[in-house]
Amino acid sequence: MQPDEHIGESAELYALGALEPAEQAAVEAHIAQCVQCLRRVGEAEETLLALERANVVRAASGDIRTPVAFMRRHIVWLLPLTAAAAFIIGLLFPRTTPQSPHDLATLAMIGSHFSHAQFTGQGAPAKVLYARDRSWYYVIVEGWHRYAVYGFAGGARLKLGETMPSGKTSELFTRSSGRYDRLELFDRSTVAGTATIR
Amino acid sequence: MAAIFDSRTAHWASVPDQSLAESFARREAGAYEAAYRSFGPQMRATAMRVLHDWESASECVQDVFLYLWRRENAYSAARGSLEAFLVTCARNRALERLRQATRSRAATEKVEVRGTYVLEEDPIERERIARAVARLTEGQGAVVQLAYYRAMTLSEVAVQLDIPIGTVKARLSAALRALRRSLIPQDNHAT
Repeated sequence: MQPDEHIGESAELYALGALEPAEQAAVEAHIAQCVQCLRRVGEAEETLLALERANVVRAASGDIRTPVAFMRRHIVWLLPLTAAAAFIIGLLFPRTTPQSPHDLATLAMIGSHFSHAQFTGQGAPAKVLYARDRSWYYVIVEGWHRYAVYGFAGGARLKLGETMPSGKTSELFTRSSGRYDRLELFDRSTVAGTATIR
Repeated sequence: MAAIFDSRTAHWASVPDQSLAESFARREAGAYEAAYRSFGPQMRATAMRVLHDWESASECVQDVFLYLWRRENAYSAARGSLEAFLVTCARNRALERLRQATRSRAATEKVEVRGTYVLEEDPIERERIARAVARLTEGQGAVVQLAYYRAMTLSEVAVQLDIPIGTVKARLSAALRALRRSLIPQDNHAT
């Protein structure tokens, strides 16, 4: 394909991922300059989307504890979490100051599968997101509350840290090798909330 | 419509898909999150159809967003539907993974998914697509079955059907354009 030639049928083949790397690069170079061919690629992509519309992923069980379902039902809680935004901003504007729990959690969540649990108790509403392999825990408390966070494993108890105010919430992100079966929030010596980790 | 977070009001607001596409093209942070929320499920379903595995499909979706965040000018609103672009990216990423890993699981095998998620087909859409595929010529239908549904490379399709690779390309391209005419309302056609 010459630089001044339109890509023709390669548009559909490109959308299908069927081209060799060199051909693919040539198409990308061309559509960066040619709106007509870019639009043809877009049309091919719309056709592929139409073919994919028949496929739907559904939860096999009623209890959905996955990122997507969680986001749908509790999106306000996830304001600090999902965005790729923090990641890209981090890439574009690297900081020398320590990263916030929010940033650390976003980075951790991008690379792993996680679940969540609600704290119950007399304290402020709170949740914990945690990696399924228990490599990290991210505690979010509604409002400004400096809670001590403890992890319990068997009979052992370990203080994981304290929640720190961040925007409209207070948060703690911690990487831990512990596989805790529950977390507890302490407001001084009073238990403010308990979350069971499954 | 998609939802995008307004940091000034700390609320989610509905925005037209076109606005989201333009924000995404400008690489605005909130647009990535909104796109993930709005289109992630379809992306994941598409990757799952190819890979038959929930976790691998989820990783594909993450891979796509990471790749796009790192790459400037990957998407332009002039290209068309953002959802179509992202779903295509997810499909192609899944194909890469499939080809890198193993060819032992053909895409036409019965779907068996580990974990708590299953891939289902919308019966109405399935019927509509089946009718559109049935309207293709015999040659076009064959290449679509092999290249699209069975995720074969063009070379593999050529060997399987014993036709030149150039013929495979021509038939596949024509098939996709014919499917577009069948599946997408005429008003949306630019040409």
